[in-house]
Amino acid sequence: MAGQSDPHISLFSAEEVEFMAEDELIEIVPNLRMDPLNFICGDFGPFLPQIATQVPFWLAVALKKRGKCAIRPPQWMSVGESPSSSPFFDMVLERERESQGAFQVLPFHYVEISRLLFDHARDDIPDMYMVRSLIEDIRDVRIHKVETSLEKFSGTSAVKIPNLSAMEVNIIRPFVGRALQAFYKHDNPEKIPDVDRPSSAQTRVANNEPRVCSSATEEITNHFQPAYDEGTSVLLETLFGESYLVPFSL
Amino acid sequence: MANYYNIDDILAEEEFVPVVFHKAANGVVIDPSSETNSVEQGAKVELPLWLAQELYLRQAISISVPACFSQRTRLEIQADAACVDLKSRSPYFYEFGCKIAPLVGDKTIEILLLSAFKIRYKEILTKAYTAVFTTTSKFLTLLTKEETNLYEAAQASMAAFKKWRMGGPRLQRASVLGRKRKPLD
Repeated sequence: MAGQSDPHISLFSAEEVEFMAEDELIEIVPNLRMDPLNFICGDFGPFLPQIATQVPFWLAVALKKRGKCAIRPPQWMSVGESPSSSPFFDMVLERERESQGAFQVLPFHYVEISRLLFDHARDDIPDMYMVRSLIEDIRDVRIHKVETSLEKFSGTSAVKIPNLSAMEVNIIRPFVGRALQAFYKHDNPEKIPDVDRPSSAQTRVANNEPRVCSSATEEITNHFQPAYDEGTSVLLETLFGESYLVPFSL
Repeated sequence: MANYYNIDDILAEEEFVPVVFHKAANGVVIDPSSETNSVEQGAKVELPLWLAQELYLRQAISISVPACFSQRTRLEIQADAACVDLKSRSPYFYEFGCKIAPLVGDKTIEILLLSAFKIRYKEILTKAYTAVFTTTSKFLTLLTKEETNLYEAAQASMAAFKKWRMGGPRLQRASVLGRKRKPLD
């Protein structure tokens, strides 16, 4: 995929993941009058003072920097007495701590979005410090949980960890990719090419392996980031809500 | 030869294996200390894997199990795989093992590799994401090349994330911008 800064270490850098997160929509309340904006990714606006509208995050940040709008923090970020959103944000942390195996449902880009909000729209978030410390705690708990769940697998060919977020997947991607590759290699001794005819053995194995990703999912989601390492390798697919780590072919 | 351009693959094939010659060979300097330029039938020498592999296919030699997969190493790995110094045995322990297993016809090498990797993987995982660098430097010397790569991948991605979280300047000035333009002659 184009735009990888360093394909050997990690597929995406944290900045690149943040860049992708900026395509998420967020609600703003503009204080200027402006015609609708027509972009490749869609039409946004019209912008009328005090009328809320949905725009991509990067546009919201640009307007905010010029003092042309107020950003409405997303529903899931609300703490305590807010009128809506079924699980309050402070509940998420408790549930995250209680359930050892499972991850709570959070937006795919919650790490990046919260950081962008804290950087650019401090004045728009009620209970800023509370929310901030909650996010930090939740993130730490989740990362720790990811590590414990990674400890469990041994020699499996596919791993399913539901509800991982983009940044969490990105952190573990290089490690898990390599580890699964190694497991795959040692788990299938018969797949190691025969010394007598290495080429024929290799092609046979490659053709037999099922490709796990379906092309349909590729199209419907923006978050799909396949990692093809020239045939020999590991596919690491991330969808909203579900992450599959699947090695295929040697 | 899985990957011609992979430096690790090439280096893994440089590992020495003990072989026994079935045929006499003239005009080769395999053992520098020998007086004649020939190898007698039944001579025991150590050859790099890439050479042994080719000679084995021509049925000129037979290969025995290298020292790094000896019974002693196996017992050590069974006792506690995480503490075994595999790097000193062979920096390409796993790759070498995969290559040598079909040549010597020993199925147990594969099982040994898998069980060793399973246990060592957990050790790397916990060390890579949680421990600070100073405490792990001793542990790092025990790792093979493959395991070091794994460890470094985990460390690098975690460090990159922490750096991003701490922030810093979002826009960086391109290095060409600040410079003075060279005067034209």
